[in-house]
Amino acid sequence: MKIEVGSEIEVSFTLNGEARSASFDPRRSLADVLREDCGQTGTHLGCEHGVCGACTVLVDGAPSRSCLMLGAMADGKDITTVEGLATDGVFNHVQQGMWDAMSFQCAFCSPGFLMSTMALLEENPNPSEEEIREELSGNLCRCTGYQSIVDGVMASIENLKQQGGE
Amino acid sequence: MTATEEHVQTSGLGFVGQSVKRVEDEWLLAGQGDFVADRLPEGVAHAAFLRSPFPHATIDSIDTSAAKKLPGVIAVYTGAEVNANTNPFIPLIMLPDMYTPLFMPMTEDKARFVGDPVAIVLAESRYIAEDALELIEVDYTDLEPVATMSQARNPNSPQLWDKADGNVLHDGSKVYGDVDAAFAKADHVFTETFSCHRVTNQPMEARGTVVEIGQDGHLTITSTSQAPHAVKWAVAAMTVTEKAGRNFRKFWRMKERRANFKAARKAFLKEHMPAIRSQDRSGQKHQNKRENPTKHQLKMAMGLLASEDFPTVRAGDIGGGFGSKGSVHREEMALIVASKMANRSAQWIEDRVENLLDGGQAREEEFTMSIAIDDDGTFRGLKCHFDLDYGAYPSFPIGGALTQGMIRVYMPGPYRFPVFEFTSRMMATNKGKQLPYRGPWANETWARERIIDIAAEKLGMDPLELRQKNMYAAEDFPTKMVTGPTLDVTMSCKGTLDRAVEEVRGLDLDAMRADAESRGKKLGVGLASYHEAAPGPPDFLDSVTPGNGMLANEEARAVIERDGSIKMYTSQSPHGQSHATTYAQVVADEFGVAMDDVEIVWGNTDTSRFSFIGTGGSRGGPIGGGVMKYSAREAREQVNELAAEMLEASVEDVTIENGNIHVAGVPARGISYADVAAEAAKRKGSADGPAFEVVRDYRGHGDGGWSVATHVAVVEVDMDTGQVDIPKYLVVEDCGPIINPKIVDGQVRGGVAQGIGMVLYENLVYSDEGNPQATTYMDYLIPTAMEIPEIDIIHLETHSPGENDFRGVGEGGMIGAPAALTSAVSDALGVQATDMYLPPTKILEMAGVIDPD
Repeated sequence: MKIEVGSEIEVSFTLNGEARSASFDPRRSLADVLREDCGQTGTHLGCEHGVCGACTVLVDGAPSRSCLMLGAMADGKDITTVEGLATDGVFNHVQQGMWDAMSFQCAFCSPGFLMSTMALLEENPNPSEEEIREELSGNLCRCTGYQSIVDGVMASIENLKQQGGE
Repeated sequence: MTATEEHVQTSGLGFVGQSVKRVEDEWLLAGQGDFVADRLPEGVAHAAFLRSPFPHATIDSIDTSAAKKLPGVIAVYTGAEVNANTNPFIPLIMLPDMYTPLFMPMTEDKARFVGDPVAIVLAESRYIAEDALELIEVDYTDLEPVATMSQARNPNSPQLWDKADGNVLHDGSKVYGDVDAAFAKADHVFTETFSCHRVTNQPMEARGTVVEIGQDGHLTITSTSQAPHAVKWAVAAMTVTEKAGRNFRKFWRMKERRANFKAARKAFLKEHMPAIRSQDRSGQKHQNKRENPTKHQLKMAMGLLASEDFPTVRAGDIGGGFGSKGSVHREEMALIVASKMANRSAQWIEDRVENLLDGGQAREEEFTMSIAIDDDGTFRGLKCHFDLDYGAYPSFPIGGALTQGMIRVYMPGPYRFPVFEFTSRMMATNKGKQLPYRGPWANETWARERIIDIAAEKLGMDPLELRQKNMYAAEDFPTKMVTGPTLDVTMSCKGTLDRAVEEVRGLDLDAMRADAESRGKKLGVGLASYHEAAPGPPDFLDSVTPGNGMLANEEARAVIERDGSIKMYTSQSPHGQSHATTYAQVVADEFGVAMDDVEIVWGNTDTSRFSFIGTGGSRGGPIGGGVMKYSAREAREQVNELAAEMLEASVEDVTIENGNIHVAGVPARGISYADVAAEAAKRKGSADGPAFEVVRDYRGHGDGGWSVATHVAVVEVDMDTGQVDIPKYLVVEDCGPIINPKIVDGQVRGGVAQGIGMVLYENLVYSDEGNPQATTYMDYLIPTAMEIPEIDIIHLETHSPGENDFRGVGEGGMIGAPAALTSAVSDALGVQATDMYLPPTKILEMAGVIDPD
């Protein structure tokens, strides 16, 4: 299928629980589609070659590098970004945990860490510190030295328990 | 008063001293940040730069015709076209016997490093802009590369800058005391050369600028700048086009402006004449002989005098900087000029490869250290020869000249060195620009602590005792460093050293060593101490760059609106320092209100006061916090006076608790800030303007002083893989009273993490032909959560007699860590490390397990 320059591709997906459709230049990355076409600028770009993790979003629940995915690959998928975590302005257990532990400084990397932590706790609700560090080693932070972020994950686990493990 | 006590988190009434949760997280953790790339104003064009693929080459021709025809392209400009519409970057801080090239936002004649911007495209999307780059044809002719400091020193190497004298841009020396006599008399002189590799700041958000052109031509610039006012004045000056004479006449006809300027000039000179007279003019004279910037300076000065519209520079949320975003960058200026030429709002959002090419590089330095020492370990003198790999273009406004000056002044450190000789050179090479990176002088600590370790080994002394023997202690104060600055009670480095030594003695090193060896690993312990002027005594900056102390000045506006709401306008540009939280703590305590009742406003040059440096140099706490405190206090006093009248009481009896302004003892009949503000507004008569407004400036003189620390690193070196693990890392730190303990802990740990990255993982390699080898994160290894250990911190808190006693802590982590780590690895291997970069291959070579290459 030859795609003409300047042609657009029509894609529809759910974004943070809302049905969305967008049409764009087929070569646009999912990150650019989310940020510029859908106006959801919470997802950040730190390297655009799949290492720093700031662009991590959940695609059908799986943590994915949205800078390496084409927007076209989102067709029919359920996508969650950092903007979808809070409910009516109330932080969820991971946002609250990172806030309580004062995990971040510039926080440019925080969207990636929040989404990776969501996926981590979904898969393993009670990780050890070593497991947390290993699971989060796919996200780079230049400000904190990571200790406060690990504390933030621990606090998130406590929050989840207090919320009756919903 | 030298109350030193371990910091216990206070839960007193005040907010200062508490780990209050961050205000910034309310929007940042919700994904509602306002970062530069999030702005995306209507109809903005996207810029991309064509960058030289060659380290050193003449540009013979450029053909942009094909690129201009590509659908979606708005404009394509060559370096010559952009440079024709701007003045050069001119040197501000000049050293004696140093030539600083005048340089332009883009290059038109010669590519001087891989990444040098040759052309710029504005297009409807970044994708189309990058397509257009591939249609621009450029003919280069290769020149011999100048890729190492030794090649730069070779007189046969081609010159990067025609008006320089070869590629050695600076060659100077400064001697403190009778060095030759001291070295002749000493029992021993030990000499060693240490070399540090090139690294790069690498904030997670790269650079970015958005230029919005208003109907009236007014520029609103959003920039990832740590110093928005520096961007404002640089843009205003560099985009002056008319000749000096024309602007002068225009200015002369503006009677009111002329009168204001005269008055302002008179006041400035009156306040700063002694400093101006002490300035060292020899740097300017040397520069003028080679390339005289005066005609540009005159043109720009007259333009500024006559200009009636200055750009607004905004800074929203910024994703880290570590010094790299304190500069006014060439690409930023090129974008602004191109946007004006095309009369189209435009943005440049730097990508990671660009940031690794020229986002900011640092630390490629070599030190030849000589220490004169007696048999009993007494330090008799120090010599340092310092070589800096300057890269191709200077960074503006703060670059090599200031870094060199601070390395010179800091080098003796917290130790009693009676004499000191400092010689230095800076070499231009075909590399990205060197600029400040988290304690840009930090290698002075590394080189000094390394030569002290080597001296201890050669004398058969315990390196910890050797430090304790020679370090200034409380009873020595006040005194002066051999390089000039005054040391007072806040230089409490000995307290941190003694506490660190106590902690080390408390370790069962033999058991730890045996356990490590049972796993095929060698154990090593390293220690390093330093002191940092944050803000430092008044004579610190005068020792570095005489007469330029005014550059450290910081201003602030305290405003109480007519409805009683309190707004504090800071000139800081936070990018991870949490100023919205720490300043709210300081100000809430001053006004006696809750934190929610104060708003910290930053990031707009129209509403904030001038600040040259902005956020950097660990000034956020002491100077940014200090001017917040004093301007709030002055506003509070004005409120007290008016409230006293309203409450028919004397000022002394008025007190404020949680916003209730009342006569002490009678809280029930208290009034609110809204009541007092309404009364003040009524008395003012005029319909607009705030009820109270105070403008203050502050430089930290006589208040806070030094910030100090001792770092201890315990390492285990795997003798098979050369991998270094860090089972224990301790920082004993003293930055005086702390505004927010968890925020300070975060700053210390972040600095240590970058130190660990620099020693064990990060290397911005250039080949001998000048080709950068680490232009992705697959090659430039930023440490992850697996590589950074838990970092223990002990806070000591020495109080200075000064009133505002917060001392800076942002940079310290990265000043101490490289020295402590290389010391620990040397201890483990029994071989003294003379290189900063210690990857596994190097470790195994030092250990004799493998042969060097």
